Amino acid sequence: MNINLILGIFILKGWDWVGREKSPLAALSWRSPSSSVAPCRALHTTISRRGLDEFFDLPENWGETTVKSGAPWTAKQLRTKSNEDLHKLWYVLLKEKNLLLTLEQEAKRQRVPMSSPERIRKVERSMIRLETVVNERESALRMLQTGQEKARPGAWRRDKFGHVYWYRFKEYAIPWYMNRRYKRKSFFTPKFVQPHIRLRLEKYLRQRARKTSLERRTQSKLKEKFPHANISAS
Amino acid sequence: IYPLYQLGNPQLRIFRPNWFLTLVRPGKEQPPDTVQFRIPMEMTKYDVKNYLEKIYDVPVGAIRTRIQFGSNKKRNHLHQKVKQPDYKVAYVQLAQGQTFTFPDIFPEKELKHEEGSMEEMQEKFMEDEKQRQRLDPRRGGVTEWFGL
Repeated sequence: MNINLILGIFILKGWDWVGREKSPLAALSWRSPSSSVAPCRALHTTISRRGLDEFFDLPENWGETTVKSGAPWTAKQLRTKSNEDLHKLWYVLLKEKNLLLTLEQEAKRQRVPMSSPERIRKVERSMIRLETVVNERESALRMLQTGQEKARPGAWRRDKFGHVYWYRFKEYAIPWYMNRRYKRKSFFTPKFVQPHIRLRLEKYLRQRARKTSLERRTQSKLKEKFPHANISAS
Repeated sequence: IYPLYQLGNPQLRIFRPNWFLTLVRPGKEQPPDTVQFRIPMEMTKYDVKNYLEKIYDVPVGAIRTRIQFGSNKKRNHLHQKVKQPDYKVAYVQLAQGQTFTFPDIFPEKELKHEEGSMEEMQEKFMEDEKQRQRLDPRRGGVTEWFGL
């Protein structure tokens, strides 16, 4: 599939972070120029035109064993940011992750330990949280505008083994009654599967009963041994 | 997961792409304008071109890709085959006559311990020990077992 990637990066270049002394992680208190506490002139940062150098760290950090970096962004902090800020932050995090991945690969190549590998995990976590915040906002907007909870339509369906699951619809060019491969899929449970479902249900109930009785037994034993202790929260 | 394209549909735009490129040092000698990347399997040549042009502002000329098969030959302590993941490699040639050499990211750096730390004291101790072992420098490398 040839997806022509035209990305909506508006004014990213004017906002690229100044030099690389500051990392994209949150706790090194660095504010975006568009944060408005009081009316003030917007910061004018230089456009960094470093091209392929952005895949590498600052030359001072080459060869260091540990490089200092801040904490990952939390969802709470990200929820305070505007959509433009989040969009730009995504690309900042993306470039940082690319940098760290090149560093990791080069370290493996040279058989040298990579400096502070936890940075990759921090960036990953920040990106995941950003994604969740954006999805939250999107779904809230969708609920208000159309009343739909999910972006992708779906339905509850049964498979051949009696499991009920959320089947998500896929986009096709032809209707389902003209689709031969789709018609071979059966979304119902045949009658001869009923004994198997019954046995499976019995097994599940038995396991649950065993778990609860085990808990009760352990609690009673502990109460016997230590009558004055309060109930352990486990 | 992407919407179907039929004639007349709007251009597909992807916001917040989840693809990461890794610049790697070429194993074999490459021409000076060629940069080697490891890219996710789902990306195509056009994706890489747009990615580099839009996000990194790097003018891209020709680009070629191939898929590297990760070996399934090695076995673990349970004699099970262990698969190394497959990956796609892209050879990107820069336009406008630019060249790129892969820099040396791990230069030799002198380890300077901070003042008053354990490591510094240990280093000093080792230095003194070695100094005691060494012969008199005024003798110019000659042993001490003969002479006055």
